[in-house]
Amino acid sequence: MNNPGNIEIKRKIAVAGLPNTGKTLIFNGLTGDYNLVANCPFTTINIKNMPFSIDGDNDIEQYELIDTPGIFRFNTYSRSEMVTRDLLLFDSPDMIIQCIDAAQLKQSLSLTIDLLDLNIPLIICLNAIDETVRKGIVINSQRLSAILKVPVVESVATTGQGLDELKNAIRATFINYNKSLTTAPRNHYESSRTSAAPVSHHDLSRISTTLGNHNDLSRISTTLGNHNDSSRVSTTHRSHHDLSRTSAETMTHHNSSNVSSLSHIHTDYEDGISAIYSLFPENLSHKRVWAFLLMMNDPFVLSGLERLYPKEEIEPVISKAESIRKHFKGNIGLEINKKRNRWIDDVVEKVVRRQKLELEDFSQKVAGICRHPFWGVPVLFAIVYVMFLLVVHVANNIAAWMESHLWVPVEELVVSFLPTGFWHDFLIGDYGVLSLGVANAVITVLPILSVFFIMFNTLEDIGYIPNLTVLTRRLFQKVGLSGASVMPLVLGFGCKTMATMTTKSLQSPREKFIAIYLIAFAIPCAAQMGLNMSILGRMGTTAFLIVFSVLFVVEVTAGLLLNLLLEKEDQCLFIQELPRIRMPEPKAVLVKTWYKLYWFLKESLPVFIYAALALFTLDRVGVLDASKIFLSPVIEGFLGLPLEMVDALILCMARHEAAAGLIMNLIAARKLDFVQCIVAVTITTMFIPCFANIMAMIHELKFKSALGMAIIINVSSFLIAGLLNWVLLKIFV
Amino acid sequence: MNKKREREEYLEVLWRIKEDGIEDPDYLKNAFGSDFEPTIIEDLEQAGHILTGDNGSIVTLTDAGYEYARKIIRAHRIAEKLICDALGGDFESGACEFEHILNTDLVDSICVLLGHPRRCPHGKPIPQGDCCKTAARTVQSPVMPLTELESGMSGRVAFINYSDDMQIYKMDTLKIKPGGMIKLLQKSPSFVVSCEGGDVALDDAVASNILLWKEGGQFNAGGENMLGPGKCRRKRGFGFMRRKSA
Repeated sequence: MNNPGNIEIKRKIAVAGLPNTGKTLIFNGLTGDYNLVANCPFTTINIKNMPFSIDGDNDIEQYELIDTPGIFRFNTYSRSEMVTRDLLLFDSPDMIIQCIDAAQLKQSLSLTIDLLDLNIPLIICLNAIDETVRKGIVINSQRLSAILKVPVVESVATTGQGLDELKNAIRATFINYNKSLTTAPRNHYESSRTSAAPVSHHDLSRISTTLGNHNDLSRISTTLGNHNDSSRVSTTHRSHHDLSRTSAETMTHHNSSNVSSLSHIHTDYEDGISAIYSLFPENLSHKRVWAFLLMMNDPFVLSGLERLYPKEEIEPVISKAESIRKHFKGNIGLEINKKRNRWIDDVVEKVVRRQKLELEDFSQKVAGICRHPFWGVPVLFAIVYVMFLLVVHVANNIAAWMESHLWVPVEELVVSFLPTGFWHDFLIGDYGVLSLGVANAVITVLPILSVFFIMFNTLEDIGYIPNLTVLTRRLFQKVGLSGASVMPLVLGFGCKTMATMTTKSLQSPREKFIAIYLIAFAIPCAAQMGLNMSILGRMGTTAFLIVFSVLFVVEVTAGLLLNLLLEKEDQCLFIQELPRIRMPEPKAVLVKTWYKLYWFLKESLPVFIYAALALFTLDRVGVLDASKIFLSPVIEGFLGLPLEMVDALILCMARHEAAAGLIMNLIAARKLDFVQCIVAVTITTMFIPCFANIMAMIHELKFKSALGMAIIINVSSFLIAGLLNWVLLKIFV
Repeated sequence: MNKKREREEYLEVLWRIKEDGIEDPDYLKNAFGSDFEPTIIEDLEQAGHILTGDNGSIVTLTDAGYEYARKIIRAHRIAEKLICDALGGDFESGACEFEHILNTDLVDSICVLLGHPRRCPHGKPIPQGDCCKTAARTVQSPVMPLTELESGMSGRVAFINYSDDMQIYKMDTLKIKPGGMIKLLQKSPSFVVSCEGGDVALDDAVASNILLWKEGGQFNAGGENMLGPGKCRRKRGFGFMRRKSA
């Protein structure tokens, strides 16, 4: 636009940051789009691109915004963090906005160092600044900006405060950057030669001078943009130590005059980084980051480099890095961390002021009760019970009202025109497009989901659900799950598809397999849970208790069995960051519920209609009856269910929610009694996971294992339901 | 020049060559540069600590030599740990002096005092002593595992035992690191600590490997200067130091 004749490529801006720092909130705020947000780490699993524009004084700037999954630091084990790292390293966005939870500044600054190393313009967005104020922490953001030499914007992403400032900062940063480019024309994402990038180099070397800790920091910055490493080394390494005895080496200093004779004993990692710097292929971008990753012995660094260059070309760098690591006195990773931490502590000390008085922390108290070994359990049960009551008494009444006020008139209208015959059946028969398709989705399922989602989203907004990991960890440990896999399982109660995808972050294939299996098996997702509550509510609290106890026992048994069957391996440790408990934001909860319902209707309504059509066709052709006769020994004999349940099971394959409506109809028609109802709900909960979940399983496992898993799950759900039927009949009849 | 001491220095380098799998035959020579003394190699060979090759260049440790070197390395790294953690000072030069003075019993008692650290401040493994195998404990130990802190109390991390670098990196990103303050919120059913404004859940295995200074802990230069009000008693020095001065 500004340069006619040039093809304008939209500039890409990536939003990155630690998990649960409000990246998606900022993304939603800037683009006006809506993506799921929650007070929970790893809500975003995939990268999302979206165009957005900023109104300027006399023009509109177009950009492309990229939302990324949370990342702690570049050096990582976790595949979900790798998604973000690959994006930043390979696709080099034109700008990065780092979201920082202001209350956890120190944690975020490690990532800031990594991002500064990229030499890409950076804006820091200090999020949740309202909560830090409440906690009595004051962050001097201007000072932070002066130290880091990047713009720092304060924001409260949940309410949208600070978005305008952020937009201004984006514009201003690009304008400043372009100015600096005109003085030294050069393509900035080619950081290969760039390391000598005028802007960033200059900026970063100033970081060091502003900070007291000159010695360490000049290292962090100098090598960043430095080709003449040797000359720098001698100036920064001022101290001379007697190296005639190796034991007199110190960790931070060494005698530069002895470098030649001791070239293979590195005592400072910066020497290592400089040493491998020059060995990289000339046109490699982000050399410093790659050098850093090689020094840290990062598990994915080799595959990353091999994506860019043939093996032979990078071989010398890798062997050099290996030898440096080997001959480094001490653990090079710890050394790097230690230096970074010193820098971070220094920065934080300069910009953060705390009130001496520790305020009574309400959120800590609530969190403490939720995670309490004794009170945590009653709190959990109370929450579930309240949800149950609300679904049964509020949602079912809304559904009944909608039925009589919305559905009955339609039904009467159709009957008045088409009293009987094909079209009557086609529209409002047992398998009618309107009755089983539209009314089932909109009138039966939608009210239940609305009520349930409002409550569930409130819990998510409060940050309650991740805290359950604390309560449930011991249990999960018994079924062979440790550490990182607790979180995906807990998330399974929200959405099983999403939970399956978060298993990406598990390193151990064994745990991943167990976790995916258990998520797919007896855990009801939020929608299923709501509908189960509604169905079982018609039979009373006892039915509800029985079903959930059975599902619980099944899940634990399945876990124990898998744990026994699969080969043992070292358990990874449980280190799980927890989100802060906060007051729910009613607007955010309602918006989220609205979108979830909107997506449900958008995705499911067609599925409901197609499923109804399919059943209608099968029924007309006679296949349905034939299959019912064929399946009757299993359904009627083994499971003790009426034959109509075959329809429900078929609908289940299309969409679990669709089966719920049919079961409710059967209850209304008194075709399901207490025991049958329990068996029906149990089997539909365990039966074939929804399509999206199966796709996620295939994505995370190999096709064969995913398919095998689905088959085992289905067979065992039939067996368990049959067994349950037998037991219940013994007890209740 | 103290011959015993020089011999020990050579054994130490030979241990490191073995530990790091260094294949460079001239490593030993280079390490000492112009101070390299072939006579010390001869002395060591006579003492039965090392074996030399035909041309005298290739040197390996004998079993006896290995044991001797192990003791020196252990003393050195334990000393480093003591000086680094307790005094936060330049541990390297002090440790070098220490290793030649400390006898096995003394090293073991410092090891007990420090709670049997497994790695020196550089991250190198500390060879185990008899005290580690029996997991001996004394009440005087200035550090204690996080598992022994009372809920609601804060403590400063002295060091963290770990088996895998990535584990320590992960904790580092959450700012659970030597010198940092953490507050224990609860112990059961999982450990939950508050650190730098974030809450982190840990299992028992991780918690028992986080070692804290028992009281106050103003020895380490961390960034955090503030302690919770009244949550943490500040006293100068730790156990054995106070007793000495009293």
